Amino acid sequence: MAANAPPMTATDSLSQAVKANIIHNQEYLLQGSVLDSAVEVLLHRLRGLCDNVDAGPETFDDQEVCFILRDPNQQALPSMLRVRKALDARDMPYQLRYIGQADGEKNRPTVLRSVLDIACSGMLFEFLNELGCRIEYEYSVKGYMFRKGRMKITVAKVFKIPQSSMAPEPISQSYLVELSVLAPTGQDAIGEDMRAFADQLRPLVQLDKIDYKRLSHMAGQ
Amino acid sequence: MQREEKQLEATLHAILNRVNDLKSAIQALITKLETEYETINWPTFLDNYAILSGHLTGLSKILQAELAPSLKSVVVLPLQLGCERDEELARLTEGRVPACTHDLVPDLLRTKPEPQAEQRLQQLNHKASTLNFDTAQKQVAQFTKVVSHVWEIISKGREDWEGESMRSAGMQPTHSIADTHALVTAVGTGKGLRPGMPPSLPPGVGGPGMGPTRGPTPQMGPAAPTMPKAPSAIKTNIKAANQIHPYRQ
Repeated sequence: MAANAPPMTATDSLSQAVKANIIHNQEYLLQGSVLDSAVEVLLHRLRGLCDNVDAGPETFDDQEVCFILRDPNQQALPSMLRVRKALDARDMPYQLRYIGQADGEKNRPTVLRSVLDIACSGMLFEFLNELGCRIEYEYSVKGYMFRKGRMKITVAKVFKIPQSSMAPEPISQSYLVELSVLAPTGQDAIGEDMRAFADQLRPLVQLDKIDYKRLSHMAGQ
Repeated sequence: MQREEKQLEATLHAILNRVNDLKSAIQALITKLETEYETINWPTFLDNYAILSGHLTGLSKILQAELAPSLKSVVVLPLQLGCERDEELARLTEGRVPACTHDLVPDLLRTKPEPQAEQRLQQLNHKASTLNFDTAQKQVAQFTKVVSHVWEIISKGREDWEGESMRSAGMQPTHSIADTHALVTAVGTGKGLRPGMPPSLPPGVGGPGMGPTRGPTPQMGPAAPTMPKAPSAIKTNIKAANQIHPYRQ
């Protein structure tokens, strides 16, 4: 490193990274669910299909809190930020995630949305409160994670966080199954690989593009 | 002349190949029958028959081809029949035809069907030509009815078998679409996760549907005017802090 070169600022390195298209800011996603009675079969099948057959599935226990930042003048749409903290590994950093709108292209085999993941310290809650974000909802997920190459498959149960120290209550009799890949922009071929992998899990699980915004509108909420 | 000879030779060669294939297929079938007669099942047997019929089709294709006319002008005549064992012949035929005797040769060089078969064929032809149109039509209709009846029985049987094997394999639905939607909307929009704050209800509404979840917390009444939705004391505090946040509205 030359001694008289100007120091690289964080903004510079970030903009360079963005230009070089190495930042994984797109997420390809497929979601489905499996009933509690069939989840063991699914775990066995995933164990065989995915990497690290001998090590066994990795478990995780996370709590996710959704913050919403509303514009005080009601001019812009509110933005949502998610904070995920690991309940089983307390010293891991918190993950702050911004999820953008999914692009509604019909021909794409998967959901594609832009995401930004940032690791943060525990002061995140205070910081977001100071920014003006308000807690919208929260839940905890507990389950298993598998990897296959770039693909990440999670099989987890979603729980409602109880008010007092009661046991967390699951919100349905199923496990949520998600298949996701984080990639820089422009790597659409991974969608086909994901679809092929999803087909291997049929008919146990039907992994599909699910537009939750459309669903929540349809449900009348 | 030479060209015809070459053609003939080529045709004969091709026919010989096909016949050899057919021979090996029949041999395989016979071996199978002899060695596996206890374990063989009908579909396997039918498969072997299919192989045989494939070979026969190939053979007949060659014979029907354009090279065949040259064969029609060629005649095979037995020049000498003998009763003694001919080593050369036996070697050629792998021990099956030891001598060119007069009981084997008619069968080997036969061009018309057997006399018995020919007679039966003649009888049936005669019967068919004397049949009048109406009877023939009635018979055809009956035949169709019988065949379709058999078809129905078979397909019903197949459905039962497949249905039963599917049921016994426990092909219960392993995922429920409703659950998928519920989970995805919960994770994405928080539907069902807000104990007191459904997104569509404006603040200030008491939320009569929240009654059942707030049975055990009777301090709801006095708290209602200031705190629109708060199921428990703890949440009340949190919500209070958010409500009086300086940036909010």
